[in-house]
Amino acid sequence: MTRLLFQALNAPVLILLTAVGIAIQTSLFAIWPLNYFQPDIVLIVVIWCALRRNFVEGGILTLIAAHLAELHSAVPRGTFGVSYMLVYLLVRGSSRMLVIPDLSSFVIVTLFSSLLMKISTATTLHLLAPDIQVLRNSLFLLFPGAAVAGLLSIWGYQWLEKFDNFTYKNRRSEESLEQDLNLDSEGF
Amino acid sequence: MIKYLKQYRFYIILFLFLLIPIIAIDTATRSPRNYWPHDRAIISLTAPIQSVISWGLDLLVSGFQNYVFLLHTRQDNLLLTDENRKLLNTIAGLRETEQENMRLRKLLNFQEQFTLESVVARVIARDVSTEFRAIRINRGESSGIQKNMPVVTNEGIVGKVLRTTANSADVVTVMDLLSAVDAIDERSRARGVIEGYTDDTCLFRYVLRTDDIQVGDILISGGVGGIFPKGIPVALVSKVNRKPFGISQDVEVKPIVDFSKLEEVMVVTKAEHVPLPQEPTVRKATSAKLTEKGETPTESKGTAPPASTPSGKPAPVHAQ
Repeated sequence: MTRLLFQALNAPVLILLTAVGIAIQTSLFAIWPLNYFQPDIVLIVVIWCALRRNFVEGGILTLIAAHLAELHSAVPRGTFGVSYMLVYLLVRGSSRMLVIPDLSSFVIVTLFSSLLMKISTATTLHLLAPDIQVLRNSLFLLFPGAAVAGLLSIWGYQWLEKFDNFTYKNRRSEESLEQDLNLDSEGF
Repeated sequence: MIKYLKQYRFYIILFLFLLIPIIAIDTATRSPRNYWPHDRAIISLTAPIQSVISWGLDLLVSGFQNYVFLLHTRQDNLLLTDENRKLLNTIAGLRETEQENMRLRKLLNFQEQFTLESVVARVIARDVSTEFRAIRINRGESSGIQKNMPVVTNEGIVGKVLRTTANSADVVTVMDLLSAVDAIDERSRARGVIEGYTDDTCLFRYVLRTDDIQVGDILISGGVGGIFPKGIPVALVSKVNRKPFGISQDVEVKPIVDFSKLEEVMVVTKAEHVPLPQEPTVRKATSAKLTEKGETPTESKGTAPPASTPSGKPAPVHAQ
């Protein structure tokens, strides 16, 4: 019962943690020159959802996380939704073709996703409002942003792994829980 | 029907995932939008965290500025270490208070110059994205702040309020990519629109090629749009590229406000209209008319002196 409860709490707590992460990101990296090295907490969560959640749950969490990011930005509504969803679908799709087994692979995925995310956001904005000058700044911060995201992801994924273990959300716990429930239903 | 839904479940969900963000996009007008109740709940959770971190950082920075950087001085005065330590702690606090006092005093002077009613707020966070340059302040609806109110400092315009909650507000700065502020060259009166460009540069667009714009010119708010009071400094011209043909010229400007050191801002809740000073000839004619009627001519009561600029020159007040 406790395990079921913990599992049910996984998604809401993950959303809360993302909100707290965004709050820390926006205030801790607000001062100059740290603002040039702002990591993307939401991107890490989105990649985690793409690789460690089922399609529906991961997609919904991605949309919620993108909305949280939009709440803390002046970006036009929906822009992050498009970008993060693109990252989510591409990472999920690539995980079907490529083997992404361990932390180092996750970090590489994060690095590429960060670049993709920036380019995707810049392209979306350019398509929506061709007059705005988004490309210069995006290109300037393309690689520092990716490097910081990759660096933070080393710890980020470890914490998320621990969080999933604690809430019995990892694959092994889920299988074990399913077995237990089957045994219960069969009277053992 | 259910069979088909089950069969194409994946594609339906995929379609929905792509459709939802596209529906959400509302950049066509980018009208200021309010928070939904669940958004407010999230902001009420994150805003205190941002305030606490911002406060902690301030303490850390002031600690470094007032204590760690003075370590060498302390070594030179070993005899007075104990006494000094106590004094330094006190001075650190006082210095921070003094600096804050000076900043607030400047804000107050600025407020008096422009006859503005305003609320002073502290910057607690910046935009989650590096492409956009919004800031969050620690005052909201409970302090009388509403959408579209102008936000300024003693230096000049910061931006305007985008959204509000009870205790916080998001301010979209003049540096933001989608920000547009109507502005006038203070010297030549050339009119254009200041738009965000990079982290420290804006563009002064739609300025006619024939307009006289020079590096170092101060751009002040034009007053069109009804958001920013007229005459407040916005930016300094940093680069002019006048092409030999075409309609407009390329002008890069640097905001007057130093956004990297922005700590306190002033949200203008009410800006009084400043009456135009009468021209001397008009004033003479009016006084002659009044003398004919047997009345004593009086000076027109201006609610504020003409706006001064960072260069110290009084900004001329022109009809909008």
